[in-house]
Amino acid sequence: MVDSTGKFGVGGLHHLGIPNRRQFFQLGAGAAAGWTLSGNAFAQTERPGNPPDKPRGQVIAALSQEPTVFHPLMPGIEVDQGVWWQVFSPLWFIDPDGKFVPDLAREVPTVENGGLSADGLTWKIKLRSDVKWHDGTAFTAEDIKFSLDLINNPDFRVRNRVGHSLVKDITIVAPDEIHWRMDAPYSPYMSILSLTFIVPKHILEKVSDPNSSPFHNAPVGTGPFRWGERVPGDHILFNAYAGYHGKGPYVERVVFKYIPDLTVLYTQFRTGQIDYTGLQGILPNFVQEAKTLKGRKIFVSAMPSIEHIAPNLEFGPFADRAVREALYLAINKQAIIDALNYGLPTQTESFVPQQAWSFQQGLPQHKYDPTKANALLDAAGWVRGSGGVREKGGVKLEFTNSTTSGNAVREQTQQLLIQDWRAIGATMRVNNMPAAVIWGDFWQQSKFNSVIVGVNFMLGSDPDVTPRFGSGAIPAKGGRGYNTYQYKSAEADRLLAEGARQFDLAQRKTTYGDLQKLIRNDLAILPLFQGFIAEGVKEGLQGFRPNINTSSNCWNIREWYWA
Amino acid sequence: MATAALSAAQPAPGQAAWQRFCRHRLALAGAVIIMVLVLGSVIGPYLLPFDDTYIDIMKRFAPPFTGAHILGTDELGRDVLARLMMGARVSLLIGIVAMVIAMAVGIVVGAFAGFYGGVVGAVLMRLVDAVLCFPTIFLLLALAALTEPGLVTTTVLIAATAWMWVARVVEAQVRSLREREFAVAALAFGSSNLRIMFRELVPNAVAPIMVAATLNVAKAILLESYLSYLGYGIQPPAASLGNMLNNAQIYLTSAPWLAIAPGVAITLAVTSFNFLGDGLRDALDPRMNIP
Amino acid sequence: MARYVLNRLAQAVMLLVIVSAIGFAILHLAPGGPLSQYAASAQMTQEDLDRVTKQLGLDRPLPIQYLDWFGRMLKGDWGKSYRDGDAVLSVISSHLGATLELMVSATIIAVLLGCWIGILGALRRYSLFDSLATVGAMIALSIPTFWFGLVTIYVFSVTLGWLPAGNRETIGDGSFLDLAHHLIAPAMVLALVETAMWGRFMRSSMLEVINQDYIRTARAKGMPEWRILTVHALRNALLPMITVAGLQFPTLLGGALVAETVFTWPGMGRLFLDSIGYRDYPVVMGILMFSAIMVLIGSLIADILYAVVDPRIRVG
Repeated sequence: MVDSTGKFGVGGLHHLGIPNRRQFFQLGAGAAAGWTLSGNAFAQTERPGNPPDKPRGQVIAALSQEPTVFHPLMPGIEVDQGVWWQVFSPLWFIDPDGKFVPDLAREVPTVENGGLSADGLTWKIKLRSDVKWHDGTAFTAEDIKFSLDLINNPDFRVRNRVGHSLVKDITIVAPDEIHWRMDAPYSPYMSILSLTFIVPKHILEKVSDPNSSPFHNAPVGTGPFRWGERVPGDHILFNAYAGYHGKGPYVERVVFKYIPDLTVLYTQFRTGQIDYTGLQGILPNFVQEAKTLKGRKIFVSAMPSIEHIAPNLEFGPFADRAVREALYLAINKQAIIDALNYGLPTQTESFVPQQAWSFQQGLPQHKYDPTKANALLDAAGWVRGSGGVREKGGVKLEFTNSTTSGNAVREQTQQLLIQDWRAIGATMRVNNMPAAVIWGDFWQQSKFNSVIVGVNFMLGSDPDVTPRFGSGAIPAKGGRGYNTYQYKSAEADRLLAEGARQFDLAQRKTTYGDLQKLIRNDLAILPLFQGFIAEGVKEGLQGFRPNINTSSNCWNIREWYWA
Repeated sequence: MATAALSAAQPAPGQAAWQRFCRHRLALAGAVIIMVLVLGSVIGPYLLPFDDTYIDIMKRFAPPFTGAHILGTDELGRDVLARLMMGARVSLLIGIVAMVIAMAVGIVVGAFAGFYGGVVGAVLMRLVDAVLCFPTIFLLLALAALTEPGLVTTTVLIAATAWMWVARVVEAQVRSLREREFAVAALAFGSSNLRIMFRELVPNAVAPIMVAATLNVAKAILLESYLSYLGYGIQPPAASLGNMLNNAQIYLTSAPWLAIAPGVAITLAVTSFNFLGDGLRDALDPRMNIP
Repeated sequence: MARYVLNRLAQAVMLLVIVSAIGFAILHLAPGGPLSQYAASAQMTQEDLDRVTKQLGLDRPLPIQYLDWFGRMLKGDWGKSYRDGDAVLSVISSHLGATLELMVSATIIAVLLGCWIGILGALRRYSLFDSLATVGAMIALSIPTFWFGLVTIYVFSVTLGWLPAGNRETIGDGSFLDLAHHLIAPAMVLALVETAMWGRFMRSSMLEVINQDYIRTARAKGMPEWRILTVHALRNALLPMITVAGLQFPTLLGGALVAETVFTWPGMGRLFLDSIGYRDYPVVMGILMFSAIMVLIGSLIADILYAVVDPRIRVG
């Protein structure tokens, strides 16, 4: 299920409305930074025991993808971030309740505590002075400066520079205090920094090539675990770092075990060889059985991604809204959710996760109604031709649908769609591809007809979806962003611009609510359900807390311990 | 292949071959099973009340002998027997056609290389060696990445990874046979090179070719399942034995019949082809004629 | 002989050039690229992707990229993995041990068991043993390896609990017994098909030989049966097996790829699959070249041995 796009959700800068100072104040104050998970795993957490006095035991966490990028500022995927959380620390992070929590910083900068100027341009960060790198060297403001400078170093193969490129005039006031100035106020920078891990100056300043050094394969950080060993293709071992500045770690060793096959991964969880099934968790069809296993706990948590059918709006029949609506009406969504996904996900009509403050309640509810769909197409002039396939003006209601091959549930969904849509005179063919092909130019440059995909639309935790639905964000038309649907709407552009200018939370909620109504009405996407992940933890392993604000539920292994 | 080889034999030895073939009970069993599979996959679907792609989501995972579903239903409530028949049709077609292509290419390349030797042989065999340097699955994956998945491309891809092997076997046989008396004799009688190659030498290599051919059908049907396993096979909703097996693997504990049905079908089909080939080999080997 | 070997070596080098060109072309012409995975997680815009593409040199014309790669390979620099930035040769060598362990143990099982079954089957043709062996070999060849592996896991790991459900070792243990315990299932699964193949070829080859004139002549001369078998039959029957052995490496690697996937074995086959999935060109090319070299060495040795043992083949 986590085969989705948009986990880090940080868009290009140029289409982000630059917020004014009042909005900045509001976001910077730490209110509604992220969003919270409600009614999920927490209820199941067993009686809290006490963590041990010193690290004890080990945790074997299984991942279905192999972490390979250990420099936390270089291009990596979710599974790599799981490693960064163990070895490195950010200045602050967002906890499961959606609150900023200081990590390397002594406090989260706000206007009240003087960390931020009222115009949002001056940042003054106070740092902890008791933090040491794994090699014993003291962590100082120099490391922060070095990390930010490295990000902006043109020779460095950085992941992206969104927000960071605005940082100017970095001044080290004291070993534990650093100031900088921003070219423009930019509120998402708070959450960007919550996922920016700080790298050691004293090691990296000596390397000749910033893109390749011994550090890249044996990183040194300030995190709760020290790099142990890596057996490529098999596992990575971390050892508890006794000098960690925060809570924990409570286990001696953490092993990230790479198990590429999800069936095998579940089997090993069943036979007890692994303690935790991380990314991509347990396949939906095993969840029911997994819950009956002795000595195992299963957590089903919501993900910020939205599973949907992405139409290419520039492709023949999809340009017609009536077609999209008819197709949407003809989807047996309940069958997809209850049968194919075993009732685990929640149906949705919006691109905003239901846990977010910006989520719009009461959007028109989807109804499975093939009769209405047929009537709609008849009225729109799509007449049935040879073989029962409708056409209009020489355009046949025929298209392909693609997704990552090997994703069993999505392939089943496709086959259900073929049948549902055949009933209304639409022909769909399956054209699946491996990940390296489909998410390349095919997706990026809108070469698809339609795709089944899970996307996290949010920018960090902000509902500004300009990179997704703004008319200037279509990569196929040279735009900067991910509007691969090629959605263009003057009204949407207006709402997006307005939302970015607004500062009042209630006002923004209205604006983005209107946008959600518009997108739902236009059916720019055909939403299916909100993403979810089912994770298994061995009984007795305490401290697992799913965090929708991080890209990896491995974020707090430091607080895990064996009861 | 089989019929062509049979009819090419002389009348009298042909009869003897037929008798020997019939004595080979496993081969006979193989031929019968193949016939049943072919008939089943060709006319079977018309005898069933279910369409192989008809989804009835409320009836998913019905075990065998639920109502009219003799082999039960799959993860989308489709009739497994209907899918098995259509899947066998696709897999057999791929297996046989891919084998024919591979054989044709392999025999020609192998015969020329073995007969002429020298520069021609070296160039051809280096080509064979070069393609053989790629592990089959890698070659399949790489080539599959270049094309759109489908019935024709899958067949051609599988053939493209199977011919070299036949070429090697044929080349080795022809190379070692051409020095033998009968080739020399044929040359002395002034036969043309092509005639010697394909009338004298290749028929003498028919036993290893048959072994290779039978293994190749097996291999082709199996490769189809590996292609499906790796995500490049026949696209849904069409069934093939490979993608049925692949789709079933996550339900191995909860709905084992989904994996057993295509698994048994693959095993049956491939085993039958192998036995058939073995029987043909025993029947056709000319050296066996000497009492 | 020396000239023959030199000649073959020169051919082998030519072959490597062809192989590398074919592989490079197929890989780079295939749609998709190493950056797709980053595009998928939408943390990088097209602009970021273009920048990294340029930094990696992937925007240059294909022939230039090829020549650059080839030139550096000749100097021993096989490039660096796009995934973890490690040198390709070190990536390969870190996976090689696991694969060799699997391949060697499977091959030993397969050759011993296969040849024994094949010879015995040929000598006692149509006996109960032969029939069972033939049927068994056919079935072994007919079962998709990945499926057989999964069934093995379910039977021996999940149901019976005798064997671990994959992995090469218990993390933190790594003793010989632990390694062996983990090796049993994947080696058996990989050996299954290999054994059947060796058995089949051995049987065919042996049958071919024992029906030859010279064997009958030897029998007519009253030579003892064991001498006929060892001196004449076996020697000649093993001849084609040399070719089989020489060709076995890529087949084994393919089988290993599947077995390694099912048993989460951290070997080259698995690396191969992952690297293709990520379009990690330098590693894929590296493995390709590495396996090509192994195959060439195998075939060279096979040819030389073939020439040595079969006086009918003229060297030159």
